[in-house]
Amino acid sequence: MIRLIDVVKEFDCKRKVRALDGINLSIDRGEMVALVGPSGSGKSTLLNLIGTLDRPTSGEIWLDGQNLSGLTDDELTRIRRDKIGFIFQFFNLLPSLTCVENVALPLHLRGWKKAQARARAEELLELVGLKHRLEHLPDELSGGERQRVAIARALSVYPPILLADEPTGNLDSKTGAEILDLIRDLHERLGATVLMVTHDAGVAASCERTITLRDGRLAGDEVRAARR
Amino acid sequence: MMLLKLITWPYVRKHLLRCTLTTAGIVLGVAVFVAMHTANQSVLYAFNRTVDRIAGRTQLQVSAGEAGFPEEVLEKVQSLPDVEVAVPVIEATVQTGIPGMGNLLVVGVDMTGDRSLRDYELETADETIVDDPLVFIAQPDSIIVSRQFCDKTGLKLNDRLTMQTMAGPRQFTIRGVMSAGGLASAFGGSLAIMDIYAAQMVFGRGRRFDRIDLAVREGVRVEEARQRIQAALGPGLQVEPPTSRGAQFEAMARVYSMTANITSVFALFIGLFLIYNTFSIAVTQRRAEIGILRALGAPRSLIRNLFLAESALAGLFGSLLGIVLGVAMARGVAGYIGEYFGEVYGVGEKAEEVAADPRLLGLALLIGVATSVFAGWLPARNAARVDPVKALQKGRVQVISEGENRLRRLVAVAMLAGAVGCVFLSSHPFFFYLGYMLSVLAVLLLTPTLCTLLTRWLRPALKWLRPVEGALAADSLLQAPRRTSGTVAALALSVALVIGLGGISRASYSTIGAWVKTSLNPDFFITGSETITQRSFRFPESFADDVARVEGIEEVQPVRSTRILYKGTPVMLVAADVEKIARRVRARIVDGDRESMYARTARGEGVIISDNFSLLRRVKRGDVIELAAPNGLLRLPVLGIVVDYSDQQGTILMSRDLFKRYWGDDTVNAMRVYAKPGVDRAALRQKLLETFGSRTRLFVMTNEELRAYIMKLTDQWFGLTYVQIVVAVLVAILGIVNTLTVSITDRKRELGVLQAVGALRNQVRHTIWMEAAAIALLGLVIGFALGAVHLYYILDVAKRDVAGLRLEYLYPYGIAAVLLPVLLGSALFSAFGPAEGAVRMSLVEALEYE
Amino acid sequence: MSKAWAVLLVAAAVVRAQDARSIVEESQRRARSGSQRYEGTLEVIDAKRKVTTKRWIYERLGSAGNSKAVLRFTAPAEVKGVALLIHNHPDRASDQWMWTPAVQRERRIAYQDRKTRFFGTDFTFEDLEERDVDRSTYRMLGEEAIEGVPCWKIESTPKPEARSQYTRLYLWIRKPDYVAAQIDCFQRDRVIRRIRYSDVEKVQNIWTARRIEVHDLTRDSRTILRLEKLEYDVTLPADLFTLQALRRER
Repeated sequence: MIRLIDVVKEFDCKRKVRALDGINLSIDRGEMVALVGPSGSGKSTLLNLIGTLDRPTSGEIWLDGQNLSGLTDDELTRIRRDKIGFIFQFFNLLPSLTCVENVALPLHLRGWKKAQARARAEELLELVGLKHRLEHLPDELSGGERQRVAIARALSVYPPILLADEPTGNLDSKTGAEILDLIRDLHERLGATVLMVTHDAGVAASCERTITLRDGRLAGDEVRAARR
Repeated sequence: MMLLKLITWPYVRKHLLRCTLTTAGIVLGVAVFVAMHTANQSVLYAFNRTVDRIAGRTQLQVSAGEAGFPEEVLEKVQSLPDVEVAVPVIEATVQTGIPGMGNLLVVGVDMTGDRSLRDYELETADETIVDDPLVFIAQPDSIIVSRQFCDKTGLKLNDRLTMQTMAGPRQFTIRGVMSAGGLASAFGGSLAIMDIYAAQMVFGRGRRFDRIDLAVREGVRVEEARQRIQAALGPGLQVEPPTSRGAQFEAMARVYSMTANITSVFALFIGLFLIYNTFSIAVTQRRAEIGILRALGAPRSLIRNLFLAESALAGLFGSLLGIVLGVAMARGVAGYIGEYFGEVYGVGEKAEEVAADPRLLGLALLIGVATSVFAGWLPARNAARVDPVKALQKGRVQVISEGENRLRRLVAVAMLAGAVGCVFLSSHPFFFYLGYMLSVLAVLLLTPTLCTLLTRWLRPALKWLRPVEGALAADSLLQAPRRTSGTVAALALSVALVIGLGGISRASYSTIGAWVKTSLNPDFFITGSETITQRSFRFPESFADDVARVEGIEEVQPVRSTRILYKGTPVMLVAADVEKIARRVRARIVDGDRESMYARTARGEGVIISDNFSLLRRVKRGDVIELAAPNGLLRLPVLGIVVDYSDQQGTILMSRDLFKRYWGDDTVNAMRVYAKPGVDRAALRQKLLETFGSRTRLFVMTNEELRAYIMKLTDQWFGLTYVQIVVAVLVAILGIVNTLTVSITDRKRELGVLQAVGALRNQVRHTIWMEAAAIALLGLVIGFALGAVHLYYILDVAKRDVAGLRLEYLYPYGIAAVLLPVLLGSALFSAFGPAEGAVRMSLVEALEYE
Repeated sequence: MSKAWAVLLVAAAVVRAQDARSIVEESQRRARSGSQRYEGTLEVIDAKRKVTTKRWIYERLGSAGNSKAVLRFTAPAEVKGVALLIHNHPDRASDQWMWTPAVQRERRIAYQDRKTRFFGTDFTFEDLEERDVDRSTYRMLGEEAIEGVPCWKIESTPKPEARSQYTRLYLWIRKPDYVAAQIDCFQRDRVIRRIRYSDVEKVQNIWTARRIEVHDLTRDSRTILRLEKLEYDVTLPADLFTLQALRRER
């Protein structure tokens, strides 16, 4: 499903910073993977590359059998739109849109009819347990609720790949656990491939596979039976 | 101060262009204010300087408006015990006909003794001629010109130049050249001096003087002497210090300041909104920074003061820039105003140098800074309310402006009600202007509400255009009314300003055009001066009969028009055969009985006044007006009021007989000539010129030429209005560019999210474009509406305080139609850059952008 | 003793003052004639020694203090026909009118203008009028010779009502024939104008200076007037000295 070959990412700051240094990685369809490592090890960068928000300096990334290198921005956007759901640490909801509008946004962008999009958005919000919050603005919600909205949005197009950047990082542990359960539940029910960046050993332990990054290199890749 | 340097400067440096654009409204508002007033002041200053230089050591001047008075007054003045020296003067402007020279001011003085008051500083020591006043007086073709005039024209001592005089074309000999400085630099150096008795002949003045300049006996207080001389001469003659002529001139120039003030206020209002908008957004963008400051222990007041200081600085910067721009603009404007006054009032004055009054500049600075601080006040308060905990928490957006909508709507409705109430009390100027202000403010306060309403209506249209992007754009507008309404309000103000200016010019054209068509129907106008507005040259009365005898002419109506003082303001007095004119012209009567008023005026039982005289001087039918004539005080009832735009300050029509009796003046400065039906006009004109051209100076203008001339004057009058329109449009465009840039920067993260969740580049682009177009459209629609209100008021201002023009309400659809594509275009154009920036930005950065 | 001397001095002063006045009176009496006519040649020599010449005919009817005179320019061509009419009055300043043929206008020379120069000459309008004896006070200053002729030197101070431009005048009057030889005109303490009379001849029993030179000391310019074809007691019709006559003649 996801394949990375010798992926290198450098940032041009005052000094050249090599954030990722030759990553080779393969994630199969339906896997639920935790990406761990200390701060600055390149986790988020890796996630952004896979999520097509950014391009690698060198190396190849394959998604669903398609090589991303050489694609235009719009082609990348289409892949992102159709195949990837994003869950951000800081939710990145549009503050001026209601929950249901936020969730329906990607559908609108794909040209869905309003009623259709709304129906799907409501369905998804119900799925994440926010049926009673449809018309609320993000500011009126708690952190956990917002993350649920973000997850609903990420799922709106039923993407085969779900990318999450510290989805519980901004939440208290109880809410974090709930969200994690939700993601796992969705993973199981929808069969999406999940790649989740996390700090939390507990979170990582709940995944079938844990990939560890250190200084931009792959430092570990451990597969085990998921602990529920 | 340290904070300003540490916190503000880096932000400003990062957004330099945007910050500069933000001050655009202030810059232009201050610039217009400074330019117009400086220009006015400069022209006035130049005028006063000319008066000063010609006056020399004159302490008092005796005059009878512009009409002049018989020679006998001189001996009477000279015999008064307070008078040391009294000398007669004739002043007239003539077109030189030399390209680039414009008007020449000819001063006729008595060369036998006048030197005690003026220093002619005669140079070119050809003393036998120059210094021989005997030759100068013996030869009436003698003139003295300034060195500047010689330099410009290449003429020199003893050269001849031809001038058309009332006794036919005459050659004049330069018998003296004044060195630069002093008298010679009056009227920008375009000055000639001739013997007063020669001037009487050249200008057809008969035995009359325009003015007597005098110096009082040593040891006598000037003001006391003035009162005694005034008492001795009676009310028909004005005895005033030379400086009072400046005050009269000022009254004429006031009109320009008035319209300029309205434009300045609008531009400053626009500036207010731009600054408010930018600061509001800046507060949001810098929330984290504010949070850190607060967390580090800065009290709320410090934060507020920081933002207030920033807005004050922005105001200062904008005002300074505006002052520089304004002073630069003033030069051109001054030239323009000077030319216009030369054309219309015959007192044309070239402002050689533009000198800005430091008090004016100080006031401009104050207004600019105050506007800016006022605009920054609300954002500064909001900044002070930033919660440090929430601000530092990433991902949490604190809504810092809530719950004002209702209050604002309430205030707006109250204001609207107030404005409506004021309409009923509008006869009182205070309530009139209050109503004006309230209605504009109400519309501005309602702008957010109106924006929401209009956007709802607009949404389907946008969606129809582009289903996804249209909806996104409309929603973005709907969901952030605060961000939108500032821009829309600024834009609406600009549009309203343009509509008002355009409307007033359109209405003026149509009103003046209609008047010209009905009232100026003679086939020819014969004048002694190049234009109908100049009255320097006059015909003897008998000349009208000579013209009437020419084959093919049916009727000649001799007219003597002159500017007299009515309650200290120069107004136009027209002395004519009232009944003859009434038979030919069906003037629109505002008040009075057509049958009796002309007959009674012809009998000298009263006067007919123009509508604008009535409005400006607050005179009604039946009122008795007092006119001070050299031969006595005239008290006459107003018998009728007619529409007449001969003069901006108002016109009084009286019978020629009465004028001759009271002013002792039987000269004529214009003749209305009607040809017999079926006579070839061109041939008749030729015949008139051939018959009289060698005998006297005359200009024969056809009806078409006169109409074209008056329309040209109207054009000139509105020339500056067009400049103001351009300024207003410029402000509008700058406003759009500014707010869109700001707004899109503000939404960097939002646009990033949009792309992250799958928006294609074109979708982002289209959304931004449509948003911009929608904002422009909102501004236009509200502006068109506000413009309609503004136009209503500005027409009333024109009627009651500026020109007494009773203008029809004509909405300038043409200008509105032009504004639509111009502003939509500039909105799209200004959205172009930000849109490209948005699609090219790094998504990773954008998503982390705060 | 000193007291006695003082009395004597005062008395002498009175006698002398009377003397001075009577000398001036005698001078005017001797010049008196019923009428006068001459052709004047006027040379103005300015500070740069540039010379301009003008000619006029002067006719006067009546005698000092109560006369009428017409001065008519004959050359050069530019000024030909310009005329000045003077009506002298014993009790007040004269009336003066100027006639300019080209504009067909006479103009009154206002009182205030008497101190201005008479059209490019070094005379002022005031210098052209006759001064009645009683309009000044006199004081004998002593005796001095002018061009070898012994003269009385007399100070003449115009009375305030005369409204003269001059603060005082020094007159030199020739002892032999009572003809004025020189007049120094003062403004405050400065001589601004010096008039010299010379070429004294006896014409029809009246001693007359045929050459008058005015020296303007501030401008350093001179005007020399020569009296030619001088005649006294010629018959002149009175209506010649009216404004109407001025207008009639071109």
